[in-house]
Amino acid sequence: MLRKIFGKEFVFCVALGTGVNNPDEWMKYAEKEMRGDSSHAEMTMTIQTPNWTRTLEIESDVKGKKEALSTITSPAKEKGIRTLRLDNNMWNYFPKLKRKVAVSSSMLLASWMGSDFTNDDILKASSMNEDYDHKFAQDDKEFKVIENTAKNNSKVMWPKIVAYASKKDCLPRMYKYYDKENTLKRVLSFDNIKTFDGHIVPTLWIMKPEDDATKSTTIVYRSLKFNTNFKSSHFSQKNLTGN
Amino acid sequence: MKLLFIAFILSAPAFAQFEHDLSGNIEAQGRHSQNNEASREELFQDWNRDDFYLMYGNLNGKASYNNMRLESNWFARHSKSSLYEGGFLATQAYTFPNRLVVRDMFRMQHIKQEDDYKTESILNKLLLGVDFEESRFVFGRMYINYGLGEIFNPINPFNQPTGLTAISQVAQGNDGGSVTYFASDKHTVDLYVLGDKSINNYDGSIDRTIWVHGEVQATEDLNIDYVFGDDQKRYKGGGQVSYQFEEAMLFSQIFYQSHTTHDEISQNFWDALLGYDEQLTNKWHLRLETGYQKKNRFQNPLVFGDRFLPTEYFVALANQYEIHPLIEINGTIINDVKTGFTYFITKGIFSLGSNVEAEVFAFLPVAKGSDPENISQKLVTTDVGMALRAFF
Repeated sequence: MLRKIFGKEFVFCVALGTGVNNPDEWMKYAEKEMRGDSSHAEMTMTIQTPNWTRTLEIESDVKGKKEALSTITSPAKEKGIRTLRLDNNMWNYFPKLKRKVAVSSSMLLASWMGSDFTNDDILKASSMNEDYDHKFAQDDKEFKVIENTAKNNSKVMWPKIVAYASKKDCLPRMYKYYDKENTLKRVLSFDNIKTFDGHIVPTLWIMKPEDDATKSTTIVYRSLKFNTNFKSSHFSQKNLTGN
Repeated sequence: MKLLFIAFILSAPAFAQFEHDLSGNIEAQGRHSQNNEASREELFQDWNRDDFYLMYGNLNGKASYNNMRLESNWFARHSKSSLYEGGFLATQAYTFPNRLVVRDMFRMQHIKQEDDYKTESILNKLLLGVDFEESRFVFGRMYINYGLGEIFNPINPFNQPTGLTAISQVAQGNDGGSVTYFASDKHTVDLYVLGDKSINNYDGSIDRTIWVHGEVQATEDLNIDYVFGDDQKRYKGGGQVSYQFEEAMLFSQIFYQSHTTHDEISQNFWDALLGYDEQLTNKWHLRLETGYQKKNRFQNPLVFGDRFLPTEYFVALANQYEIHPLIEINGTIINDVKTGFTYFITKGIFSLGSNVEAEVFAFLPVAKGSDPENISQKLVTTDVGMALRAFF
């Protein structure tokens, strides 16, 4: 009966309405909720390895899909290190050295500050919604499994990402990243869902590389503001270097 | 300077919205140095081996309210060595940049040198800034940072590159005011009006600097900086072009300084720089700088001034490699193409905790220069040292 009312199958994910059977709508919804049009986030990143642990506090500003600026605010030793994305260009700025370094596209998959997140992740360079084709994979009891395959003309880093989205709130709980050989390389899990400015967002992100079970990087969102008004000069190289 | 505080306080009626930040660092450093023969025999630097100890720190304050901000930096340095007693020039190199406030009008510094020590306490930055949508106003003692050169950065006459020294965390203050106009998303213009009472060590009158720096993003990959103005009795002008390739950045600077605008005997200067910068891998950063710095025939050899490089036609290769997330190695080799003088600098930085790091460094002149008149090359000593620094 419920199946007849809601479409092919019954899910609790009412946020998607009639789009519940469209994998594009699932990914669009997740991106809209988690990314928004513009946002200011304060987060704590903990990088865990068998030999050392590093904790960074970060402020991240994002506007649209082409502008992003992240700043390390703690510890004092790394304070002020910034990463800017403008269109398809990226730069890191190291205040101790007064050095601005361009991040070439070949560096997008490289680790950001020794973490398991990449430059691409931090700057939100890829858009799951725009850069990938989506289709449902075999269903799971709790999750909608959506296979995201890179579009032919997109320049994304991961050819395939499999998303596990909760049937309760439509938000992802896990992304599995596959390389060109279709080998699972890393897993990003999401938890601790909270609401900020009307957006439902997972506030605990854990990235684990598949080839080293002893390593992981955790991001905890401490605060998140959406629809932030940034000055026109905010996402600029001048602001990157603090001049 | 009190006016800065008063203006800031009066403009901030609701303290509840105050944002503030206090940070800094402290560093202890020791080095063992060996003098070279030419310096001893030809330049009266009559010492063979000695130790040099240094402790310095910064305290940075920032308070902001809406579009206004007050920023400050207090720099203190105490150095100790028997080299001070002999008045030897090496002490200037070990504390380079030894003249921290480059445009000094407000006189907010205390420097004392006696016996075998030197103590400096400098309010190196104290500014009030106001930001508007299309403009920014700054008044006070400020830093002026632009230009991509690390070994040599001629288009910026307000700071001295510290890439060849063991001192980090040092910037230089300039007194006056600036207006920044954001002409568009792609074009920004800075106008600086600065004063200096210390040029040529005269007091009372103020020497003017009127300086324009513009930054244009011509295309997505091409950036152009232009500078011109009247600074320390010379007309100066030049620019920088940088092009971002897919994997690397190429940049070039050219800078001209006229004869002094006063009657004294002087010469003009030409400087040029060509640089290449690439993050080769996630762990390996490479930089190549090659350039020309016209030698100052009238330079006082007893003062390490703004034309401090011991080279005229130079090639420098700087590598930075992260061996481990907690260990970084730097190596820079600089060669004077004309005289053959070659200088090698290496540093190893070890993270000892989230806010503490240790550094071992060595400064090694590996080949002598062939120019008998190049005094600065003869003054370069061989040094090994260690530093421990903490950030807060």
